Amino acid sequence: MIKIENLTKTFGAFKAVDNLSLDIAAGEIFGFLGPNGAGKTTTVKILSGIMKPASGRVLVGGYDIVESPLEAKKILAYIPDEPFVYPKLTGFEFLRFIGDLYCVPYGEQAARIPQLLDIFELSAAGGELLEAYSHGMKQKLLIAGVLLRKPKALLFDEPTVGLDPKSIKRFKNLLLNIAKNGAAVFMCTHILDMAEKLCTSVGIIYRGSLIAKGTVAEIKNMAPGGPGRSLEEIFLELTE
Amino acid sequence: MFYILLKRKALTFKNRLAALRGWQLAKNLAFLSVGLVMLLALYGGFQRLLNYLEGVQVIGPMLSWKLTSMVLLITFSMVIVSSIIISMTTLYYSSDLKFLFSCPINLRVLFLDKAFETVFYSSWTLLLAVFPYIIALGRVKQLEPGFYFSYIFAIVPFVLLAGSFGILFSMLVMYLFPSSKTRDITWLMGSLSVSFVYVAFRFTKPEKLLRPDALEIVAQYINYLQSPTAPYLPSWWVTKAMVSYCAGNWGAFFSYAGLLLAAACAVYALMYYLSGFIYMEGFSGAQTAPKFRGKPRLLAEQKLALKYAGSRDLLTCCWKDRLLLARDARYWSQAILIVALIVVYLFSIRQLPLDTQDLKSFVSFLNIGVAGFVMAAIGLRFTFPAISLEGNNYWILKAAPVTTVRIMKEKLLITLAPSLVIGAVLITFSNHLLSADRFISVLSTCTIVIAAFVISVMGIGLGALFPDFRVENIHQLESSYGGFIYMACAMGYLSLVVGIQAWPVQMHFAERFGRFHPWDWRGIALCAVAYMILNAAAVVIPWKLGLANLEKHEI
Repeated sequence: MIKIENLTKTFGAFKAVDNLSLDIAAGEIFGFLGPNGAGKTTTVKILSGIMKPASGRVLVGGYDIVESPLEAKKILAYIPDEPFVYPKLTGFEFLRFIGDLYCVPYGEQAARIPQLLDIFELSAAGGELLEAYSHGMKQKLLIAGVLLRKPKALLFDEPTVGLDPKSIKRFKNLLLNIAKNGAAVFMCTHILDMAEKLCTSVGIIYRGSLIAKGTVAEIKNMAPGGPGRSLEEIFLELTE
Repeated sequence: MFYILLKRKALTFKNRLAALRGWQLAKNLAFLSVGLVMLLALYGGFQRLLNYLEGVQVIGPMLSWKLTSMVLLITFSMVIVSSIIISMTTLYYSSDLKFLFSCPINLRVLFLDKAFETVFYSSWTLLLAVFPYIIALGRVKQLEPGFYFSYIFAIVPFVLLAGSFGILFSMLVMYLFPSSKTRDITWLMGSLSVSFVYVAFRFTKPEKLLRPDALEIVAQYINYLQSPTAPYLPSWWVTKAMVSYCAGNWGAFFSYAGLLLAAACAVYALMYYLSGFIYMEGFSGAQTAPKFRGKPRLLAEQKLALKYAGSRDLLTCCWKDRLLLARDARYWSQAILIVALIVVYLFSIRQLPLDTQDLKSFVSFLNIGVAGFVMAAIGLRFTFPAISLEGNNYWILKAAPVTTVRIMKEKLLITLAPSLVIGAVLITFSNHLLSADRFISVLSTCTIVIAAFVISVMGIGLGALFPDFRVENIHQLESSYGGFIYMACAMGYLSLVVGIQAWPVQMHFAERFGRFHPWDWRGIALCAVAYMILNAAAVVIPWKLGLANLEKHEI
């Protein structure tokens, strides 16, 4: 569903992403790991179409994100690391705005928005302006916006930052359901425990290059210490 | 501790200067040069005016001091209004406050730091604008350099006192009504006050002061000139200190300068003391969001989208922007100022001393340029910033299946309507007030309608060419490099429009004056072609450049 071919991104002389190639199939949850400044956010921005690659290409559902951005974006959902939203819209209006932008029928919106607000415990705040929302509430609203339109490929950049434990648990279940229903998930995260338990495969990026890729078990087998070690130990060793 | 807080500002300023390289440095130097040219022009204007006043027999020196007291009174009022608006942000909403409040800093010291910041931001532009006046005053009156030092000595407590009004007002209001809604109301009150001062000042017909016929009742006039302008306000104390200095009356100079200094110290000591009790209360209240409950209903644009599904993306962005505009107090304040601007504009047109019908019609033609300038100035506040004001939320549109050209078209659609209405109102009423003839009325109305469209396209295009999604308010965009380019382009366009139309208008007047065969149809055709080329260029070039830039813009 998401195919990355020899992706490179430079900022002046600095190579933020260096010749990255990945393939994430439908139903797969891919965890993208790496230390700060490794190139995770740059990669996910390129995948979402808000940044252009220097070379290489990205295909989403067969559509090139640079050549056919509208077709690719219609089936793609992206949640950035910082949940910036319009402060003078209400939660309900924001979801409706997302629904309208992605052409969700009005009838479906009317039925699903209250349900989603309820799932994320935002019903009481649905009529409030977003300037009154906390970081976690905004994050939950963005996730609700993604669910409203049932995309085929999802990009998350640190999705659980600011969420309370209950919401994290709920988010994990939602992610598993989304993948079960055939969507591909690409998730940047620092929470190695979550990646270990949730992701069907992971990739580790370091200084712009992919240094390890495979299922958690495969990566553990690859590492010198063998399968008995945790993903955290292997990650720290590889990125030292 | 206060020293550390000041040092962080000095370091920020120093680092900002050090970071200026290449294109950024060139841009800033160009900006600085333009600013200096404007200050020089102001100086030239003030010198001519003061020379004229000083040259008036007997009362010349009185006239120039009277004008000085009026200039200082206006500066005083403007600093007060600015400080009311600015203090709300600096004292309660600046981005560094949460960090500073979490640090082990004495609350009163923190308040003092923010109070001085308020005074600086609310007065520096006004002081800069007054500076050429003071230089011109010193030159015209042939005063020694000590005069300027005496001015600086008096003006520092003067601005501190003016700024204290806004600071004290905001602090008390936030203490009594601790909510973010208070900020919106204060901004509105601030804009209303500016508008009121502006309209009231214009309605007093200040031009009468300079007209010779106002000198008829000499004794009464001299009496007026000698009377103090608001004797209990610091603006009068500064004037008196300067007059005393010039007359070598040291006792009076030190008593007025001392009064200013003592008053400033007393007010800031009081605020310093009060802040320990009430500043925290207000800051805490400022964090709470106002209660708002939007009702889920189908909006007009959504109903339209049901009919025109192909325009759903455009209509969606339209309703989003419409709601945002309606709920943001910053736009209401701007709208109030625009209404004041229009009222003063029409009043000034009415006051023009025009005797003949031909002269009135001719002024109606020239009015195209002035009305166009007003539209461009309004565009600088609404149209040019439209793209940049998406701010950090621009990622939502960038990641959505919406093309950049649709985003720009939607912004144009939203800003074109008010621009057209304002342009049409200005030109229709001006033509009516001036009793312009039919030819000029039709020509000016059509020209302004077309100019409204062109200037709006130019605003969106250049706004996309110079986007800045990190800005926090419209003022930063207005005074940006892009804002300057937009105004320069709009002015250039309007000058060329008036220049091209001058030929047919000349023919029209030749006909009115009874000249035989006044119309040169080849000339008219040439002007029409030039006008069409100009409009096409003014629309296509900024739009295409802006579109190309925004498409490749990365967040």
